[in-house]
Amino acid sequence: MTVTSSPTDRYVAATLRSLPIRQRQDIEAELRALIADAIDDRREAGLDADSAERQVLTELGAPARLAASYSDRSLHLIGPEFYLDYLRVLTLLLSTLVPLWFVMVALVAFTDGSPAYLAFGSALYGALETAMSIAFFTTLVFAIIERVSAVRTKRKATWDPSSLPEVPDKQGRFKELIGGVIFLAVIVIAVVLTQTVGAVEGPGGDRIGPVASGVWESGVLYIALFFAIASVSLHGLAYYTGWSTGNAIANTVLVTLFAVPAIWFAATGRLLSDDYFRTVGWPEGATVVAVVVIVVVVLLTTSDAIGGIVRASKKRRTR
Amino acid sequence: MLNEEALATHRQELRRGTIVLACLLLLSRPNYGYALLDALEKSGFEVDANTLYPLLRRLEKQGLLTSEWNTDDSRPRKFYVTSKDGATLADTLKRDWQDLDSAFLSLKDDS
Repeated sequence: MTVTSSPTDRYVAATLRSLPIRQRQDIEAELRALIADAIDDRREAGLDADSAERQVLTELGAPARLAASYSDRSLHLIGPEFYLDYLRVLTLLLSTLVPLWFVMVALVAFTDGSPAYLAFGSALYGALETAMSIAFFTTLVFAIIERVSAVRTKRKATWDPSSLPEVPDKQGRFKELIGGVIFLAVIVIAVVLTQTVGAVEGPGGDRIGPVASGVWESGVLYIALFFAIASVSLHGLAYYTGWSTGNAIANTVLVTLFAVPAIWFAATGRLLSDDYFRTVGWPEGATVVAVVVIVVVVLLTTSDAIGGIVRASKKRRTR
Repeated sequence: MLNEEALATHRQELRRGTIVLACLLLLSRPNYGYALLDALEKSGFEVDANTLYPLLRRLEKQGLLTSEWNTDDSRPRKFYVTSKDGATLADTLKRDWQDLDSAFLSLKDDS
């Protein structure tokens, strides 16, 4: 470059860059005249040309801000008008889709033959990835809505007091949540202990526990753990965001995904080791425990699903 | 004592909107941006250039001002003048201002 452009030229160019083309010519002509007038004024007051120009441009401020002001563009991603809706949609999507996706990925990876820890790892990664995509696309959609004036004017959001949710019994819910987590932990510990410490010497001379060795070694039980973790996170999120229809549906899908295979395993006699129960002197044990497992699974999952639906509808009735 | 930042915010909040009225009143006679800025300052209305210039365009877009390029002088300048709608709005805003003023005065009397 042989000719260096003046600060005014650079300022005007920077301002015009983000303005619609049809406005540029007019704004450029006016802005140049305004700057020139201001510079003249300051030079008459005794400033030299460079300082006068510098002072005038400094007072006009950052070109991007001036351009935004000219084009009525917002200087925020999502404004106060949509922020609450944005938060609502974001928390709903995150609290329902992420735990579901976690379980799906774990199941797919596991049935594909990955070892349990790898399936867990890819499920965790998949859940994080989903959470990030949800956050990104929700933000993108709302940022676009914020900028499309046609959508903005269409929305006649009115708020009225009847939409207020019931005061949640936060303490009660929290106790329920903690109770559920403790209950799960106790079951897991009990199963692991009877299988390892409580193992007895089977007919083949090896140590066997109540859970069929095939099931135990294949790691199918880890899937149950995936479900437990997903269920706890789903309940935890729903506890904070309040139960919505989406939460209730996700919860129902989740428990069904768990209940159906669990019942199938127990009912077809794949879950428990006949040898173990014969060795401990309770030959019918395998059948009895299988029935107990089925009843417990049915009761727990059904009450959990119904509990979610009831909470969601309780909230909606007041709307 | 009130901190400086809070004070500035409160004063700015109170002044917001008065610039529109001042512009509509001043522009009953055509004028261009820089001269208007000067006139506003001389009449005691504090406003930044980067607020005023986009504001003039917004008011023009709303039909409250009309504009015309004047090429008589050595430097072509965009002159703005208050439209009929603008004058009507100025009347309304001025009445509101006076109502507020008397409301404040009555507050003082009561206390």
